[in-house]
Order: sequence, then C-alpha cells, then structure tokens
Amino acid sequence: MKAAPFAYVRPSRLSDAIAELAETRGGGKVIAGGQSLAPVLAMRLARPDTLIDINSIEELGVLTRSGSALHIGAVVRQRRVERDPLSGSVPLLRLALPWVGHRELRSRGTVCGSLAHADPAAELPAVACCLDAELTLTGPNGHRRVSAREFFHGAMTTELTPDEILTSVRLPVAAAGEGFGFAEIARRHGDFALAGVAVRVRLPAGRPEATLTAFGVSDRPVTRDVSEQLAAAVTDSGEAPADRLKGPLSAVADELVDTDGDIHASRDYRRRLLLALAGRELSKAYERARDGAEEVAT
Amino acid sequence: MTVNEAVPRGEGAPFTPRPVKAGADDPVEVRMTVNGTPTALSLPARVTLADALRDHLGLTGTHVGCEHGVCGMCTVLVDGEAARACLLFAVQLDGADIVTVEGLGRPDALHPLQESFGRHHALQCGFCTPGFLMSSYDLLTNQPDVTEEELPEELSGVICRCTGYRNILTAVDETRRAHPGGVPAPGNCGRTALVGRAGQGTDATDGPDETENAASSGTQDIVLPGGDPTIAMRITTAIDLPEDRVWGVLDDIHLLARCLPGAELTDDYGHGHYAGRARVSVGPVKLTFNGVAQILEHDRAAGRLRAIAQGQDTGGAQTQADITLTTEATEAGTTMHADAKVYLTGRIAQFGRALAGDVSRRMFEQFADAVTEAAASGRAPSGPVKAPSALSLVFAPLLDRVKRLLRRGGRRRRGGREKEH
Repeated sequence: MKAAPFAYVRPSRLSDAIAELAETRGGGKVIAGGQSLAPVLAMRLARPDTLIDINSIEELGVLTRSGSALHIGAVVRQRRVERDPLSGSVPLLRLALPWVGHRELRSRGTVCGSLAHADPAAELPAVACCLDAELTLTGPNGHRRVSAREFFHGAMTTELTPDEILTSVRLPVAAAGEGFGFAEIARRHGDFALAGVAVRVRLPAGRPEATLTAFGVSDRPVTRDVSEQLAAAVTDSGEAPADRLKGPLSAVADELVDTDGDIHASRDYRRRLLLALAGRELSKAYERARDGAEEVAT
Repeated sequence: MTVNEAVPRGEGAPFTPRPVKAGADDPVEVRMTVNGTPTALSLPARVTLADALRDHLGLTGTHVGCEHGVCGMCTVLVDGEAARACLLFAVQLDGADIVTVEGLGRPDALHPLQESFGRHHALQCGFCTPGFLMSSYDLLTNQPDVTEEELPEELSGVICRCTGYRNILTAVDETRRAHPGGVPAPGNCGRTALVGRAGQGTDATDGPDETENAASSGTQDIVLPGGDPTIAMRITTAIDLPEDRVWGVLDDIHLLARCLPGAELTDDYGHGHYAGRARVSVGPVKLTFNGVAQILEHDRAAGRLRAIAQGQDTGGAQTQADITLTTEATEAGTTMHADAKVYLTGRIAQFGRALAGDVSRRMFEQFADAVTEAAASGRAPSGPVKAPSALSLVFAPLLDRVKRLLRRGGRRRRGGREKEH
C-alpha cells in the first residue's frame, strides 16, 4: 500500500524543526532514515499530518568522540557508524550493527532513529541499555538528558513527548579490560530477533562484573546485573565456559522472558534461546575482558 | 516533469537539500541524478523513490514487490550504497545520485555481474534480478574482501521466490573472484532522455512543455540525448532516376514529409523549423507523436540532407531522431543512403530493442520507396503514405525473422555450431 498524504517540511535549523513539530500539535512525525517509519506509513498503521525531515540540519549529522563517550547525531546513518574508525571505541556497537536489518536498510537507517522507534526486537536499544547510554531529547524547553534504561517505556513507546526530537546519543567508550558480546536468533538474517542478548563484562580487581540486556523477549530491552552468575561459573583455572553458565543463568532467563510467544516461537523456546545465547556471549565477553581486548575486531 | 538540466553540485562539498515546506497536496521539487542524467521532478511528498523511478522517469527495471521493505526487489544505489527504493520518499533525495539496474550495463555491453547471472542461470523468473544485481554490486564495491562464506548472509536482503539462491550465490561469487579489487563501475550512466510512463505524462511540467513550447515558437533547438541511440541503422536504396530528380523530392520538404509513413507536417515556422505529427500503429500499440523537426543541413551540391526531430506521445513515449540522407550519382541512376539514429524512451522502448529496430527499418524502407515513387512521378504519393500498420510492420519483420531463423537453423544443421552475431 502507499502512505496516506502528508505535509512535508525540511527545515535546516534544529529550532525550526522543533517549532514545526510544535505547530503540528502531536500530528507530526520526525523522519531521518525512515527505515522503520516508511513501512508503518505504507501499511497506514500511522497517518501523521506532517513529516518533519531533519536530514538537512547540519548539527545532527555529527559523529565525534569526546573524552569517554562516542557522540552520534540524529541523522548519522548506521552504515556510516559501522565504517567509521571512531566507532571501534564502542565495541558493543560494532558487534551489534551487522545484525541491524540488512545492508540496504543500514545505508539509510540511523542509530538514533532505531532508538526513537523503540521496537522491542531491535538491536540498538539493547546496546544503549546495556551500556547505559545517555540520550539527548530536545523540545521547546531545550535539551534534557535521559538514561537509555529509563527511555524505553514499552513497545514503541518512549520517554519522548510529541514535541521532542531525539537529537543525539552518547555511548561510553570501552575501557581497557572490558569485554562484550552480542548475538541474536532470527528466522533469517536481518529479521526481527526471536531472542537476543547484549553483554558487557568488566574485571576490576579480578572479580567479574557483568551486565546482560535481553531483547525480543519482552516489550522493551531488559537489563540485569549477572555478576554473581558469572562469578559462580568461573573455574579454578579462570575459565567461564558457556556450559557452566547455563545453570546459574537459567533463573534469570526464565524471569526475563515475559512475552506469551507468537507464531514464530513459544515462550519456552524463547527461554531456551535466551539461555543459550546468554551463556555463550557471557563466556566470550569474559574471555575478551580477561585477555584485555580493548577493541573488538569486526 | 523531467528536464535534463545541470544540477549544481559543488565538487567534493556535500549537497545540502534546500529547506522545504509543503502541504499534503503540494508538489515538492526534487533534483536527482539518475543513471548519470540530471533530472528535476515535482512530486507529492508521499511518492516513494521506487514509484518516482518507475512512473515518473519510465525506469521500470526497479521492481516493486512488498512495498514495505521486506523483499528487496526495489534495491537501487543511492549515493553509491544499496538502499530500498520503496522505503525512501523521493522528496528526501534532493541532490542524491541514484543508479538503477538500467544504469548497470547496456544490452550490448552487460556488467560483469549481469554476464555472470546469465551464465549461471541466476535469473529464473527475473523478478528479483534487479534487486540482487544492485545489492551484490554494492557488496562487491564497498566490501570487495567479502568471503564466499559471508555471501548468503550479505545477500539476505533480497528474496528470490523461485528459490534460485544457489545459482545467484554462484554468480556473485564468480564475479567476486574475477574482480578481487571491486567490480567495474556501472556502464550505462550517460546522459539519456528520461520520461514517464503512460498515464503519468499528464502532470508533467517540463518534458511535454518542451515540445509544446517548441511547437508554439518553432524555433527552440532540439537537443538530442548524448548517449548511444536505441537504434542506429543505415538503409541504402538504389533509385533508377538521375540524382536531380531525387533532389526534386528532397528539396520540397512538404513533399518529402508526405513520403514518411504516417507523418504529416502541420506547421512551417521558417528557417528550417517545422511542426508535425507522426502516427505509428504496431499491433495493439497506437502512438501519435506530436513534435518538431529541424533541418540542420540542406546541401544539394554535396548530396546531403540532415534533419533532427523530436516527438512525444500523449502516453509518455518519446522519440528523438537524427536522420541524414545522402545521395550519390551512379551509372544506373542514384544511390540514396538514409542514416538514422533513433532514441526511444517510455513504453515504445519497452517493445524490445530488436523489434523496435525492425519496425524502424521497415519504415525507412517504405520511406525510400515513397521517395522513389515521388521522384518518378514528380508528385506526392497518392494520398499520404499510410501509417505503418500492424500488418505491414509487425508481420514483415516477424516474417523476416522467421526466415532468418530458418536460414540460421539450416546453417547450423549443415555447419554444426556457429557463432551468432
């Protein structure tokens, strides 16, 4: 189907975009890459009065590293992040990007757009939650900063108010001795995940600290501290094999899956997927952290 | 709606689209370079790039399947990277550089990927082929170091419903091996005329206007596309009359026009500029071209007459022609050569180049016969030469083809395998 008619505005300044959005009184929608929005419009699940195209706003096209964070503007394409050497400083992002849709979608899709769309099965919201990224929302009253873990309210529902634009995201740069893991299971590569995990492991003073974010198993990415479970699986020789992680992690996996299952996967199947993925990726991340891998080769 | 104008683009500096504010029913201006041709369109914001390419520019090689980003049929290159044309609104692409499957290779010089797809039977029904070609072109250009093992995953963005994946992967892998440093650039990105499809020409602003303006003033120069013509031919006719008798016809442009099958002159603006109409009817296709013609060279002493013409059908088919007639005196009378370069776009071009070529050749043969008749009688052929009809134009070329095929078959039986040209 074709999108219903909409008015189209392409301002060149952020303040104009905010003003235009306010003028639509909630009937407007911001478009950057539009790779999630366009299908919704084509199926007429959404019929916004106005599309506000933010691609000509120069300040939103910025990809920089400042100190301990990678700053990604709202119109920075996923494929640009994938290629830019700067993004090597956030290995989890590098691990996750190849899983986002297909190459053809990443050519146009943006990192911030994926966060703002907040699909429960999407990869980048999980990355942002796992790293506890900071999102900048800009509205008529200026900027406000929100932690990713507080940003996602539910399926496609976020902290953004109708007159705000997600203008950038700041992801913490990995420190030496941190390890990451990312994987998902989908029916074909690029499809929405039946279950997926993003993990981060640190070893301050040799004692593991681990964060696990699951996606595709609930209405939003869910994050848990799994340091205890990881510590319990570490052997005397300092290994944490995936098999040993399954036992300690099974209760977490059971608790995290709160979807009822659908035509593609039952609740139980998703639990098993999540457990297998969590064990495998935590084991890998632990190994990477232990070996002091600062950057992950992709 | 399409105008071949230079899009100002700063070298190196990224192009920043202009600010726009348009209501739901307002058309938005968008300038893009499509297969090397700068175009300017005026479209409602909700028109996707896929629809703009197909309906407004007549580039139907970009296929439309699911229209919500799942199947990948509509994959094209946007600024050198594969993207789904159904998930982009054309108005968002002001200043973008688009390459469609039409730009990838030419029928007589296919892109290595196209060659390889053909060789490995990777086309099957052909519907997903444009998507797979553009997706794999992007892959082999931007990631030439991709491994064979990664190919299935990297090409998963396009779906083949006949499940021809094995052959597609083989074809892409072979091209990858043959071009380890990246595949050659698209080979058909020259300046060509782009024009919409039937039914889409009505909201056109520039294409038809150009013709209309020219027709009203009669003095606007005709600009031929810079690329290769759709059809190029040379017809030689022996006329058993002296050269000056033949020129008696060529000098009288009104008489000459009546020798052209289906053509009539409707206006004479002077200075070699004319307006006219040409009707062509081939099977179910009936086209009436209104257009302008211009005599560029009229040199009886040198035996040369050159004219260019441009016409547009109401359905959006467009044709442009560059015709040179030369005569030579021979012992038996006169030899007349007609060299024609014909540029076709829109639905007429969708006939298939070979058949369109056959039809054009037949028209020129009729023309030459009519000139002979006019030169012999000193009068216009009795009544205007009939518009090329289904009977004379389709069956004659088809018969010719059948004959050729039979001959070829005969040769093959006798001489075993023979390379065809």
